[in-house]
Amino acid sequence: MSSLASDSPYAVELNQVSKIYPGTPPVEALSEVSISVPRGELLGIVGASGSGKSTLLHLVGTLTRPTAGSVFIDGLDTSGLSDGALSGIRSRNVGFVFQDFFLLPGVTATENVGNGLLYSGTPERERKRRAEAMLERVGLSHRLAHLPNEMSGGEQQRVAIARALVHDPSFILADEPTGNLDSQNTASLMELMVSLNHDGATVILITHDPEVAEMCARQITLKDGRIEFDSSTVPGNAHD
Amino acid sequence: MNSIRALCLEMPMTERAEIQMELPKSRLSFLETLRVGSSGLRTRRLRSALSALGITIGIAALISVLGLSASGSADLIKELDALGTNLLTIEAGQGFGAGPVSLPDDAPAMIRRISPVYEVATVSKVPGGVYRNDLIADGRTRGITIVASGLNLINAQQGSLKAGVFLSQVTSQFPAVVLGAVAAERLGIRDLSIGHQLWLGERWFTVIGILNPLLLAADLDRAAIIGYGAAEKFLDHDVDADVIYVRAFPEHILDVRSVMAATVNPESPEEVQVSRASDVLEARVAATSTFTNLFVGLGAVALLVGGIGIANVMVIAVIERRNEIGLRRALGATRFHIATQFLSESLLLSGIGGVAGILMGILVTAIYAISQDWSLIIPGLAVVGGMVSSVLIGGVAGFYPALRAANMSPTEALRTG
Ligand SMILES: Nc1ncnc2c1ncn2[C@@H]1O[C@H](COP(=O)(O)OP(=O)(O)OP(=O)(O)O)[C@@H](O)[C@H]1O
Ligand SMILES: [Mg+2]
Repeated sequence: MSSLASDSPYAVELNQVSKIYPGTPPVEALSEVSISVPRGELLGIVGASGSGKSTLLHLVGTLTRPTAGSVFIDGLDTSGLSDGALSGIRSRNVGFVFQDFFLLPGVTATENVGNGLLYSGTPERERKRRAEAMLERVGLSHRLAHLPNEMSGGEQQRVAIARALVHDPSFILADEPTGNLDSQNTASLMELMVSLNHDGATVILITHDPEVAEMCARQITLKDGRIEFDSSTVPGNAHD
Repeated sequence: MNSIRALCLEMPMTERAEIQMELPKSRLSFLETLRVGSSGLRTRRLRSALSALGITIGIAALISVLGLSASGSADLIKELDALGTNLLTIEAGQGFGAGPVSLPDDAPAMIRRISPVYEVATVSKVPGGVYRNDLIADGRTRGITIVASGLNLINAQQGSLKAGVFLSQVTSQFPAVVLGAVAAERLGIRDLSIGHQLWLGERWFTVIGILNPLLLAADLDRAAIIGYGAAEKFLDHDVDADVIYVRAFPEHILDVRSVMAATVNPESPEEVQVSRASDVLEARVAATSTFTNLFVGLGAVALLVGGIGIANVMVIAVIERRNEIGLRRALGATRFHIATQFLSESLLLSGIGGVAGILMGILVTAIYAISQDWSLIIPGLAVVGGMVSSVLIGGVAGFYPALRAANMSPTEALRTG
């Protein structure tokens, strides 16, 4: 695992984070949210549409900056870092999975997964080797040379998960990864997520599906940009 | 690196936290950037090919126009150099009064006195036709004229013989004739392997030579040339010079030309017509280059349109591939990486278009030049210029789209629908 400040027990910490989108009127998508995500956690985030889930994920993934508060990744305060430095952090420490997979068309599964290593300057041969190993890990060793349009939705999302994990990030962020899958594919994808988490991966996952949320060890419910419920603070369910 | 680590360990915690800002950097080598760019083009082959086509056509047009004009005028210029630009042709012009005027009898002698002049050849037009037998009625002359000339005519014209020999001291006294290239062709005489006799007005003449075309005096190509002695003896012709060909040293040719009319006919110089034979050829070279300029202009317009086409395709690509941009940013691409990816796509498009255009232009030039029997010339400057301008166009066309892609906010770019 690539660590920025390895003495921190948390993969991610949000400290009083707010996000206001300018406009008339301005939208406060997140309001003074504090969350600590220890390494190895499987965290499910639920909430109504517009409650700020995606905003939260983008902030954690350094794709956007908070209006107030700070985001720590592996113990490193990311506020004030340049765009280039944030990109560097994403290339090593963050893995993204999206509802729409976002695989590059016309490019094989192996190359798509290898792109997870592209911007860390990994040579092509090593990208290929590690991509193939990761595809095998997600159960797609028979789809290495397949193009996205030759694969089912469930398979495409597994490729996307392999891409998010191939560079051994500190955590993976999944925004409704099962949103485009049927119940059967959802179940097997979540099985994969749980198994990856068992192997040590830290996962933060947004979902609308109560069954998916059930499978997460910790759940947070957002409402109007605030934490309405956090299972880790419920007595008898506490983490630390 | 290790030394920095070691240094850090010796420091108090607070300072350590600041120095351990040895943050990971996003990296993408130049080669990988090109690879990413080319993969973007490969997954959209048809569109890429079509958008590069504009540049290809523009460059091909430029190369072939410049190549063809260079190849076409190369032979002309070579001939011009070989024939020299120092030949003047002096004829009687139109007089003010009635009736044809002629050159004064002492004209050749007067001309010889101009010091830069080193060769003076005279020609006298002999009335009458040239026939293959003595039965053809008068009037069917096939446009062939009889001229009497001195022995140095071939020198003055820098002419050469296709077959046989030119007139000599001896043969100019005999009924012997040398045919111009066109005259020989019209009479159906290709070589002298069998003896040919021609009926010149009043008696048979033997063909002793055939000239190659004389580029500086097309009139003589249609002539049957006999000696002065023969003209007087057999055709009863009074030989005074109708046309005088003068060679002078090239550096003085303009001076010689300016005094020529007055030297030939001091009383009425306006009755003397002086022309420089090479002017006609030079005008032809100039005419080709005028056309070339026109077509180069058209090629440049095609190139501009091609560049706009690429810019258009790139702008559309940036809008269409918004999600890809967002994804790459999420994977760790910096703004610079995104900009260089799109810039390299546009440069590859125009570069490939340019190379294809150069090859096509060379092919067109080669095919046409060979069909015209020209010597093939591909101007190196046109090739280099074509390549440089296509790359420049790619850079300019890709600049704005690349900037736009780079400045897209990652979260906006990741939005769907
Ligand atoms: N770029 C933006 N500019 C302005 N407002 C925005 C922007 N992005 C999000 N918002 C607003 O911020 C709020 C939170 O949006 P967010 O996308 O985080 O919601 P969400 O919980 O992910 O919703 P969903 O479940 O529908 O995906 C919404 O009210 C949304 O309209
Ligand atoms: Mg969302």
